Amino acid sequence: MALWGMVIDLDRCTGCQACVMACKAENNVPAVGAKEAARGRTISWMHVLTEESEERTRFLPRPCLQCDDPPCIKVCPVYATYRNPEGIVAQIYARCIGCRFCMAACPYNAKYFNWLQYQREAPGQNPDVSLRPKGVVEKCTFCHHRLQKARERALAEGRGLAPGEYVTACAETCPTRAIAFGDLSDHGSDVARLARSPRAFKLGEELGTKPKVIYLSETEGHRRV
Amino acid sequence: MSDAYVQRDAALFAPIAQTGRGFYFTLVVLGIAILWGAVAYWTQFEQGLGVTGLQQPVSWGFYVTNFVFFIGISHAGTLISAILRLSKAEWRRPITRMAEVITVMVLFIGAGQILVDLGRPDRMLNVILYGRYQSPLLWDATSISTYLTASTLYLWLPLIPDIAILRDHLGKRRFLYSVLAMGWTGTERQQKILNRAIAIMAVLVIPIAISVHTVVSFVFSMTIQPAWHSSIFGPYFVAGAIFSGIAALIVAMAIIRRIYRLQAYLKPIHFRYLGHLLLVMTLLWFYLTFAEYLTGYYGNGPEEMKVFWSKFTGRFWPTFWAMAVCNFVIPMIFLVRLRHHAVGKTVVASVAVVIGMWLERFNIIVPTLSNPRLPFPDAIYWPTWIEWGETAGSFGLFILFYVLFVKFFPVISIWEIREGREVGLREVEERLLSYLPDGTEPEPARDHTRVLR
Amino acid sequence: MNGRPSTFDRAVRACQLAIAALTVFFVGSIVVWIAHLIRTAWRLDDVPSASIGISLVAIPVFLVLLGVIVSVFWGLLTERRTR
Repeated sequence: MALWGMVIDLDRCTGCQACVMACKAENNVPAVGAKEAARGRTISWMHVLTEESEERTRFLPRPCLQCDDPPCIKVCPVYATYRNPEGIVAQIYARCIGCRFCMAACPYNAKYFNWLQYQREAPGQNPDVSLRPKGVVEKCTFCHHRLQKARERALAEGRGLAPGEYVTACAETCPTRAIAFGDLSDHGSDVARLARSPRAFKLGEELGTKPKVIYLSETEGHRRV
Repeated sequence: MSDAYVQRDAALFAPIAQTGRGFYFTLVVLGIAILWGAVAYWTQFEQGLGVTGLQQPVSWGFYVTNFVFFIGISHAGTLISAILRLSKAEWRRPITRMAEVITVMVLFIGAGQILVDLGRPDRMLNVILYGRYQSPLLWDATSISTYLTASTLYLWLPLIPDIAILRDHLGKRRFLYSVLAMGWTGTERQQKILNRAIAIMAVLVIPIAISVHTVVSFVFSMTIQPAWHSSIFGPYFVAGAIFSGIAALIVAMAIIRRIYRLQAYLKPIHFRYLGHLLLVMTLLWFYLTFAEYLTGYYGNGPEEMKVFWSKFTGRFWPTFWAMAVCNFVIPMIFLVRLRHHAVGKTVVASVAVVIGMWLERFNIIVPTLSNPRLPFPDAIYWPTWIEWGETAGSFGLFILFYVLFVKFFPVISIWEIREGREVGLREVEERLLSYLPDGTEPEPARDHTRVLR
Repeated sequence: MNGRPSTFDRAVRACQLAIAALTVFFVGSIVVWIAHLIRTAWRLDDVPSASIGISLVAIPVFLVLLGVIVSVFWGLLTERRTR
C-alpha cells in the first residue's frame, strides 16, 4: 500500500507562488474577492508563509501536511474528515456540518472555511473536483482526483501505477522543482530518498502529528549524519 | 382549603394571579432584543457565517464564547439547589426554585449557541446520525442532554406540590395545572415517592453538572493549541461555572425581589450567605487563574508566551484586565463586609462577575486562535452587528423563558416555605440538640459574656 | 373523586399519560442513540474505546433517570383518588 508524501526543499523555494496558483486552478479553490480577502477569508490550500528572523527571510510553502496522527480528525464530530489507508487525510464536504472544530485543532492552520457561497459553476473549472457549498471546511487533498484518474487509466491499460504518474499540481508546476511528491513507502523513490536527507526536518515534529510533508533546509536539518 | 391558606403567602401567588403593565412592557423590550437576534440569525442563515467577524485563523468567536458562558451559568441552579438541599441548609428554601429555573432555561440557550455557530445548521442531525464519540463535541452533546433531562426533572419534581396548590386554589388555568400536577393529592405514599425521587436526583445531578462543564472545557483542552492544552481546564471551567452561576442567581433574585415585592421571603441574610459563597468562588477563581498563568509564564514556551503577552500587554489587554477587575477586584471590595447593604453589594459584585466571566471565556478562546504557531499575517477579530444581535437575542430569549415561568408557576417554592414553618424549625432544633452533649435541654438565653468566664 | 370521571378529568388524564409516555420515549431513545453511536464507531473501526468508555457511564445514568421518571409517574398517577 502506498504512503503518499511530499518533500519541499526550502533552499530552492523562491517564493514565486506558482504552486499556489496551480493549486487554485487545479482544485477550483475560489477567489473570495478583494473585500473578503481584506476581511481575512482568503482560501489558500497551498499557502506560502514568510518566516522572518534576524538572520534570514525564508519562504515556507505549506500545504496540508497530511499528518499520520492528525489532530483534526480526532475532533471531527461527524466523520467528515478521516485518514484513508494510503495516508491522505480526506475531507467529505457532504458530511461536514461546519462546526470548525478541526480548524481550531490544526496546529498548521491548514483548513479553510467557506464563510460565504464563494463558488458557483463557471466555465474554466476543473470538472474532476467538486465545488464546495457555503458553510463547509476544505483543505489540500494532495490532488486526490489525480490519483483516482491515474489509477483508472492504469487499470484500463491493465498495469500498475507507474512512479511519477500521480503527482500533485503544486509539485508539477514548481519552476525550481522544490516540491517532490511520491510514495514514501517506496524506498527507492525520489521522495523517500529526499526524506532521508540530512537537511530534512518536520514542521511541529514535537507535537506528534507525524506530518508527511517533509521540509529540507540547510539551516534546520542535521538530523542524520 | 380556605382563603387563609392562600392569604398568608399571597405575595407568592401574586405574579401568577395578576398581570400588570410592567409585564407587557418587559415582553416588548425582550421582544425587540429577540427580534434583533432573529434578524441577525436569518441574515447569517441566508448568507453564511461570513456575515460575522470570524476569519482565518480566528474561526471561533462570540458564539462559542456565548456557548461556554451560558452553559456555565447553568451551574447556578441545580448545583446550588442540590448541594444546599443535601446539606440541609434551611436558608435554601426561597432560593431553590429560582436557581433550578435558571439552569433549565439557560441550557436551551447554551445548546442553541452551538447550532447558531454551525456552518451547515441544516445538517445538525449529522451529529445524531453519524456522531463520533472520539470527538469532544459528542461528549458535549451527551453530557448536556443528560444535564437537561436531569435538571428538568429536578425542577419539575419539587414543583409538583406547588402546581397542585395552584390547581386547587388559583381558579384559572385549571387544565394546565391539573395535567402537570400528575394527580398529586399530598398523601403519605405520594410524599414518600416524591421525596425519595428528589433525594436521588439531588445526588445524581451533582456529578452530571460537574461532567457538563468539564467536557465543555475538553473541547479546548483536548487540542494541542498553546494556552488550551492544559490539564487545569476541567476544574477551572467547573469552578468558573459555579462562580458565574451564583452571580447570575443573585442578580435574578434581586430583580425578582424588587419587581414582585418579595422582600419578606428574600431577605438580606439570603443575599449575605450567597455573597459569602460568591466570595469563596472569587478566591478560588483567582487561585486557579493564577496557577494557570504562573505555570505558562515560568515554562516560557515560545508559543505559550506569545498568547500570554497578547493577553497581558498585547492586543487583548483591555478584555484581560477588565476580566481581572470584574472577577476579582470588584467582588473583593464589595463582598468582604456584608453586614450592611447586603443586597446592593452582592448585586454589584454579581453583575461584575457575570460580565467578567463572559470576558474570561472570550479571553480563553480568541487570543489562542489569534496567535497561530506558523507565521500567518496578522488577523484581528472584530464582531459584527450579527454577533452582537445574536448575543442580545440569546439573553432576551433566556430572560423571556424565565419571565414566562414566573408568570405561570411560583418562583419561590410555596410548599417548601410552609414545610420550613411547620417542620423545619422543629427539625433544626432537634438536629442542634443532637450536636450538643446528651441530655441537653434548651436553656433560657443568658448574657453572652458570662458564658466565656 | 368518586363516581364517573368528567370529561375534564378524562382529558387531564390523557394528557398526563401522553406526557409520561413521551418522557419515557425520549429518555429511552437517548439510550438507543448512544448504543447506535458505539455500533457505528465499531463498524468504522474508529477508536471504539472512547464510545464504550463514555457509554459505560452515560447509559447507566440515563437508566437511573428513566427509573426515577417511571417510578414517580407510576406512584403519582396510580394513586387511588379519595377526595
